[in-house]
Amino acid sequence: MANATAFLNGVAHEIRAGESILEFSRRLEQYIPTLCDDPRLDAYGSCRVCSVDVALTADGPRKVMASCHTPISDGMHIYSDSPRVEKLRRNIVELVLSDHPSDCNDCDANLNCELQDVAIATGVREIRFAKGKKSADALPAVSIDQSHPYMRMDLTKCIDCNRCIRACDEIQGEQVLSASGRGFASRIIKGQDVSFADSDCVSCGACAQTCPTGAISDVFRADLTKDADVVRTVCSYCGVGCNLNVSVQDGKILSIEAPEDAEVNAGHTCLKGRYAWRFYNHPDRLDTPLVRIDGELQPVSWPYAFDYIAKRMQSIKAEHGANALAGISSARCTNEENYLLQKMMRVVLGTNNIDCCARVCHSPTAYGMQKSFGTGAATNSIEDLKHTEFIMLIGANPTSAHPVTGAKIKQKVMKGTPLLVIDPVKTELARYADWHIQLRPGTNVAVLNMMAYYIISEGLVDSHFIESRTEAYQEYHDAIMALDIDYLATLSGVDKNLVKDAAIAYAKSHAAMSFHGLGVTEHSQGSRAIMCIADLTMLTGNVGREGVGMNPLRGQNNVQGAADMGCQPHQGAGYFPVDEYQQYYQEHYNANVPSDIGYKIPEMFNAALAGELKALWIMGEDVVQTDPNQDHVVASLSNLDLLVVQEIFLSETAKMADVVLPGSSFLEKSGTFTNGERRVQKVNAVVNPKEGCKTDGQIVVEMMNALGYPQADYSADTMLEEISQVVPFFAGITWQNLGENGLQWPVNEQGQDTKILHIDSFKRGLGKFHFYEFEESVEVEKNSEHYPYILTTSRNLEHYNCGTMTRRTSNGDIVSEDILLINTDDAKAKNIQDNSKVRLFSARGEIELTAQISNKVKPGVLFTTFHFPELMINRVTGDVTDKETLCPEYKVVSVEFEGVS
Amino acid sequence: MSKNLTQLARRKGIDNTLFQRLVIGEDSKSKAERSDLAKEYLVGEAIVHGTASFYDFIDGSNANKKAYVCNGSSCLCAGTQQAVTDKLSAQLGQENIGHVTCLGRCGQNSAFQINGENFSGDDINALTDGVMPNAFTSQEHYHVTTNLAEPILTAAIDNVDSYYALFNQLIQNHTVDSLLEQISDSGLRGRGGAGFPTGFKWKSCRDANGEEKYIVCNADEGDAGAYSDRYLLEQRPHTVLFGMLMAGYLSGAKTGVLYIRDEYPAAISETKRAIEQFQALNISCDDWHFNFKIVKGAGAYICGEETALLRSIEGQRPLVSVRPPFPTQSGLFGCPTIVNNVETFASVHWILDGNIERFRAMGNGKSTGSKLISLDSSFVKPGIYEVAMGCSLQEVIDLAGGYARPLKALHIGGPLGGVVPINQVANLSIDFESFAQAGFLLGHASVIGIGEEIKMIEYIEHLFDFTAVESCGKCYPCKLGSVRGQEMIQNAIDGTQKINQTLLNDLLETMQLGSLCALGGGVPLPINNILQYFADEIGEFIETQTAQEVEHG
Repeated sequence: MANATAFLNGVAHEIRAGESILEFSRRLEQYIPTLCDDPRLDAYGSCRVCSVDVALTADGPRKVMASCHTPISDGMHIYSDSPRVEKLRRNIVELVLSDHPSDCNDCDANLNCELQDVAIATGVREIRFAKGKKSADALPAVSIDQSHPYMRMDLTKCIDCNRCIRACDEIQGEQVLSASGRGFASRIIKGQDVSFADSDCVSCGACAQTCPTGAISDVFRADLTKDADVVRTVCSYCGVGCNLNVSVQDGKILSIEAPEDAEVNAGHTCLKGRYAWRFYNHPDRLDTPLVRIDGELQPVSWPYAFDYIAKRMQSIKAEHGANALAGISSARCTNEENYLLQKMMRVVLGTNNIDCCARVCHSPTAYGMQKSFGTGAATNSIEDLKHTEFIMLIGANPTSAHPVTGAKIKQKVMKGTPLLVIDPVKTELARYADWHIQLRPGTNVAVLNMMAYYIISEGLVDSHFIESRTEAYQEYHDAIMALDIDYLATLSGVDKNLVKDAAIAYAKSHAAMSFHGLGVTEHSQGSRAIMCIADLTMLTGNVGREGVGMNPLRGQNNVQGAADMGCQPHQGAGYFPVDEYQQYYQEHYNANVPSDIGYKIPEMFNAALAGELKALWIMGEDVVQTDPNQDHVVASLSNLDLLVVQEIFLSETAKMADVVLPGSSFLEKSGTFTNGERRVQKVNAVVNPKEGCKTDGQIVVEMMNALGYPQADYSADTMLEEISQVVPFFAGITWQNLGENGLQWPVNEQGQDTKILHIDSFKRGLGKFHFYEFEESVEVEKNSEHYPYILTTSRNLEHYNCGTMTRRTSNGDIVSEDILLINTDDAKAKNIQDNSKVRLFSARGEIELTAQISNKVKPGVLFTTFHFPELMINRVTGDVTDKETLCPEYKVVSVEFEGVS
Repeated sequence: MSKNLTQLARRKGIDNTLFQRLVIGEDSKSKAERSDLAKEYLVGEAIVHGTASFYDFIDGSNANKKAYVCNGSSCLCAGTQQAVTDKLSAQLGQENIGHVTCLGRCGQNSAFQINGENFSGDDINALTDGVMPNAFTSQEHYHVTTNLAEPILTAAIDNVDSYYALFNQLIQNHTVDSLLEQISDSGLRGRGGAGFPTGFKWKSCRDANGEEKYIVCNADEGDAGAYSDRYLLEQRPHTVLFGMLMAGYLSGAKTGVLYIRDEYPAAISETKRAIEQFQALNISCDDWHFNFKIVKGAGAYICGEETALLRSIEGQRPLVSVRPPFPTQSGLFGCPTIVNNVETFASVHWILDGNIERFRAMGNGKSTGSKLISLDSSFVKPGIYEVAMGCSLQEVIDLAGGYARPLKALHIGGPLGGVVPINQVANLSIDFESFAQAGFLLGHASVIGIGEEIKMIEYIEHLFDFTAVESCGKCYPCKLGSVRGQEMIQNAIDGTQKINQTLLNDLLETMQLGSLCALGGGVPLPINNILQYFADEIGEFIETQTAQEVEHG
């Protein structure tokens, strides 16, 4: 059968199933004007400007139809420029202009306005109607909303296309916007007709980006000019990896938007990516190397700093050996920079003492998934959400911490995809969940084992998958079936029937996708819980297909990449064990490398305190504020002979350094980041490094040279070439072939990337079942008597980790402190009022913070964030770590609290 | 429409809709209450506010009044409403009087609502101290007449039990396919005005995938002048329920929703009573049984448009949705849904009771069966007339004893129906085709008499104004065009500026070709009828065109 065709203005073209006439003509690059259509949103059909003449035969009777919501069909004849439709468009636009301010020159959106473009395209020259009423006449006297740090609204410019309402609903899923009234008098509202600041707006900016006029805008767009350069790069906040289009003029950033053709974020991003960028030229930026002389950090030249460090390093090495040196790399930096730092530590300084912040977040994921599957990375892509029929979300709050992925999950769930949430906190997504298992923090293994029990006992396992793809099932099965379910339900504080219902639904689904976050990993049984999740996916055959799999929501923008590049003490670049693959690395580096496994971060602190570690190089990581048990961290760092910190601000850690080297933000460097779905994407420098600063890669390169190792200057393309020779799954990656949307590793030599792992077999051959008994955390066993509450910590939407960047933007005006959530019953018992101060203390230390009474947590559980150095929540967190990986147990802290009078 | 809101509403189900929560009591809820509602329904607060503010009787200046005076076209033409307003204002205060567009009391006019009850004719004289006396019931009377040998829609139902016995009989003796075929064979077409073949609609819903399906009865009879649906729901509710039951069985739906306008309190209570009677019969078939649910409207004409009606039930702002998808594929809560008018459902019992051939034999072959006509007070015997399709309009008028006062035109088929000058009446018969060919519209077959004294320029303004007030505001041609049209006519009446013929024609063409639904798309028809048939009367308001303008117009 011939391909289906339709005729556009008499010319035959192939049509695609399901496309509208407007999509058909757009694909053919034939312009049909429209005001209400945004290709990312459902067809709406309000402006009618896209109307075309449609006939079923060439000379048949024609009917005017709106092209945006009329499906194209075989043999259809479309006339997009007949006199009748051209007149219709002109007359509609004339009506729109009759209700719109007349002087474009007074408008911020002048020359950046779709109404203007469409008016010109349709040829409206005059408004023939007598001056009549305007819908803006009914607006409140002060109609311009400037209440918000970022968002702006001026409804006199609104053309009621409702794109903003639809973007807020269909993209972000927030429904902050709607319209009030009806007909001519209807107008856009926020919440119950309140200001942006008083609404539940999450400042994602989707409305501003889609607004065709200047009715909804933001503080940056007003300055946007058409002749600004646009540089596409990748956001440096979370592991989603949103692509950003940065407008820049004369070396200054004007505004950030999200490119609509980005595979990762399709024109969407969050308030951090879109708005929280003004830290880049904040006056607090470091702009000269500093060396501690006579107890004070004092400005020095770059050569002085490098020379100083080189001498100190060499003398420490000579005296104490290479393993008295260590490095902590940065998940905020590029793959190339991470690769360089581990290379410096291993090849130039001769130690495997290199680690990165994956240690304190997803090291259990990497470890556990390697044990179960063979690869420590997401099995699938975020795009698989389109195909999934069930979502299991464990220990993650993606609407805050991974907003674009969170929004995608929310879209699926609102439209009816079943959601199971296992989380001690009633997160935003938990509100929409079909099952929310609100377990006691620290009991993931117990609940996941209960899930397995019910899946097996209800006969819902995928026997074929288990037989053909896995090993060690029988022992696992026997151990699970021997569990005392009532006991587990009691200790984890959950209703066993809820777990049973959820387990049955998960197992019955044809395509279930699991996501997890730090609520799984940052526990004493973090790695074990990871393996328990892997067990569930294998039990139900949810691996190796579209719409399934096990998908860690990686915390930092490049935490996947930092680990891929070998910033860990036991595996080098490409995850080869340093002890078994010494030969491999020596050949590739053409140099000697050590084979003894190095220190993990907590071991570095312990070694420093014990006097065994003498020098520490930290690239872009504020361990003082972010690592647990702050007093211990500070004591350890104080005991070093040399602390070198590469930073953009004088962080809490940098304040303790002997040498501070001013690095660069992501906006000032090129390279690649690897997001949580293994997607290696190009980061392109938008502006030059701030005067006095260098890119972090160049700093490492110059340090290597100062140490006597000839390393060429930092350049993304040549570095990537070197990496592709060492890291097998980067084999086919070149700077050129990454393109706009990057490639998902493994990428073979032909440049073919991989969206789904473990399709035919697991990386390790057979997937392996692991059973672990639930074990109470030492923290609870030791401290619960005196500190009976459990504190669990997380991030909020507005701030990123220790807030170094976000606090230096207007995000700080939206959220300005860390708040402690206390359940109503607990607050009542301790006579604590909403918004009052409380003292929170643990076996380690104490802090004072503001309480909010909230039923997002159950009695006995407290929740807070860790963004503000004024508070230093890590004064109270503890030393307990994951047994396998030493990832700290941030999520279970035994505490007590009291009101402050 | 929002797919998210549709699916979030589906979670809560038809027995727990946000819309009905907002409608209950029609008292404006506090911000805190609305905030709680938003949380409960998992939607943004703006959604709750946006929905509530759309309806006349929930929010806005017309909500929570002590009394409402009808301003529908029939009452307007009858000229009765000033007196009613004056009486109510005198006792209740002007600020406590709202307006309502058509209470369906077009046979008597002088219509108003007080304490949720409707009154008309001389009822107003009983008003005492701002209330109607306790014992007082409305003295409404209208004729129910037919010229059929055997009435179909107007026949009395003596025994509910035996009336529904037909259902068991049918499902035992016929297959679903054969019953659907019978509906198609009867030639039954939608009585709401569009005339879509009913059998085809039911079949496509039956063929649509989905466990969950709905039958929705569109009882939002908002066309001023029409009260035949009100008649059926108040007097013959079982005819409607039976049709819905049958549609449910044949398509696989288990729930029937009657969306009844708030302006018809008696229709709501009578239907409720009929549902209780139906429930007592315990009709079911294997694991299939059928439940009815009444959803009460809240004063928005656009909710008579089927997609707006569905969105209304879902608690969304009832804006018209794009088609496709059609409701039979994705309707209420995104599930396959049959939406039919009251009268369409009401025809089903008689058809399936062995009368397919007789039904098809009535009419012109394309329009079959019988039709209810609503005649207003401009006829000697106002009322509901059941005639066979194809019956001449003149015959209907004769049945009603002719005109009660001198008329120059009939407005037939609601606000979007044609304005038929008296001298054209003789050319029309009651069927979709005759009206369409003559440039009019049968619509829902309501007939309002336009008296000699009515100025047609003012009637045009009334039509634009009605459209502007009732437009959902989604599509630009309707939202903006109706306002500019109203202003243009107003300016001409005021003498500020005469009508530019080219501009008016452009405007009407823009609305007709460009509008998303029949409201904006339909109102140019009666206006063009007036411009054509009453050119002499309108002429003085039209600007003289230059030769060049005529050429380019």
